Amino acid sequence: MRHDDRDPAVPKPPDLQALSAFVDGELPDEARAAVLERLVQDPQAAAQVADWRAQKSALKALCGAPVIDEPAFIVVRAPVPWWRRVGLAACWLVVGAGLALVLGPLASHLPGGGLLDRGPMGFAKRADVAYAVYTPEQRHPVEVAASEEKHLITWLSKRLNRPLSVPSLQEYGYSLVGGRLLPGEAGPAAQFMYENQDGARLTLYVTGIPDDETAFRLFRDGNRRTFYWVSEHMGYALSGPISEGKLREIAIDVCSDLGGKPESWQ
Amino acid sequence: MNFEAEVISWLPQLRRYARALTGDSAWADDLVQDTAERALARWAAFRPNSNLRAWLLTILRHLYIDQLRARREIPVDDESAPWRNLEAPTGVVDGLVLRDLQRALYCLPLEQREVLLLVCVEELTYQEASVALSVPVGTVMSRLSRAREHMRALLTEGPTCKSAPLKIVRNP
Repeated sequence: MRHDDRDPAVPKPPDLQALSAFVDGELPDEARAAVLERLVQDPQAAAQVADWRAQKSALKALCGAPVIDEPAFIVVRAPVPWWRRVGLAACWLVVGAGLALVLGPLASHLPGGGLLDRGPMGFAKRADVAYAVYTPEQRHPVEVAASEEKHLITWLSKRLNRPLSVPSLQEYGYSLVGGRLLPGEAGPAAQFMYENQDGARLTLYVTGIPDDETAFRLFRDGNRRTFYWVSEHMGYALSGPISEGKLREIAIDVCSDLGGKPESWQ
Repeated sequence: MNFEAEVISWLPQLRRYARALTGDSAWADDLVQDTAERALARWAAFRPNSNLRAWLLTILRHLYIDQLRARREIPVDDESAPWRNLEAPTGVVDGLVLRDLQRALYCLPLEQREVLLLVCVEELTYQEASVALSVPVGTVMSRLSRAREHMRALLTEGPTCKSAPLKIVRNP
C-alpha cells in the first residue's frame, strides 16, 4: 500500500521518515526516485539507509521464525484448545435446544398414555399431533424436500423397512412439499406433506402397525380432521383442515393408490 | 473460510509477534490465547471485509498493555529478564550481533518496539500498521523512523540502556 498524503519534498537534512519509508518500499515512485538521488549525493543518508536495512533483516532473523516453513511452530499450543471445548459444548447446547424444540410440543400434546394405546387410534392421534407440529413450519416443514423425491422415498422406505410410495394429490391442487421421519408407536413413521397454492397443507402419515385391523375412521381435533385406515400392517392417516367430504374423497383416492381397498369402506 | 477458522489460521503469526513483543514465550502464549478468546467472543464487533489480522493485532496489543500495567515491570538488564532465555537465534546474522540487537529492542519504548516489529518482522504495510495500532499513517511513519534511529543509537553507543524497565513511555 502506498502512502500518498505525504509531502515528498526532501528537506536539507535527510528526511528520516522518507528514508524509513524508502527502506520499507512504501514510497510512491516519484518520492522514491528523489530519495535514490539523495542517497547518491549524501553518504550520511546512504549510511543510515544501509544501517536500517541491516537492522530490518537482523530483526527478521531475531524474531521472524518463518511460520509457514516451520510447521512445528504452529503446533505448539495448549494441548486441548479451549475453542474446541467451547465448540463441543455449543454443539451439545444446540442439539439440546433442538430436541427441546422438537419434542417439547409433542410432549405437551401427548399427556398420559391413554391416547397412545396401541391400535389405530394411537397412530392417528400421533399423525394429528405431527400435523399440528410441522405444518406451521415455514422454513423447515420437511427434512427432505420434494425436489429429492427419489431420495426421500428410498430413505423413508429403508427406515420403515418396507417399500413406500408417495401418492400424487395434484388433481386436488396439492403438490408434495417433502417428508420427514418421526418416532411412531411401534417404530419409525413417515410424514409426507402436501401444500396447495394458498399454502394450505395436508399430511399423510405412514407407519407400521402390529395388528391388521381393517378400518376407516375419522378423527377430529379442533378444525383438523384425520382420516385413517389400516391396510396390510400399515397404518395411514391423512390430516388436514379441510371439509370432511373433501378429505374423505382424497383419502379414498390415496388408499387405492397405495394398494388398499377403499370399496370395503362404503 | 469461516470466522473461527480464519482466526485460528492467524494464530502462528500472532504468536510470533507476541514472542517478539514481550520477549517471553510463556507470556506470548498466554497473550495469544487471550487474544483468540477475546476475538471469538467479540466476533460481532469485527467488520466483515476489513483486515482480520490487523484487528487481531489490535486486540493483542490492548491485552499486552493491560497486562504490562498489571505485572511488575522487569528491568531489561536483569539477568532473569525473560528475553534472555529465548533461544539463541541461528543463521544469517552473527549471534553476538543479535544479542545486542535483542537488548536494544527491549530498550525501546513499547510504542517504538511494536511499530518496528509490525513493519520489519510481520511485514505489515504502513496502512495495516496504522489500523493495528489505531493511529494515523503519519504517526506510524514518524514512530518508525524514530524507532530506527533509537535502535541505531543503542547499537552504536553500546549497551547503556537509559529507559531500563519495560514500560510504556511517551515519545521522547
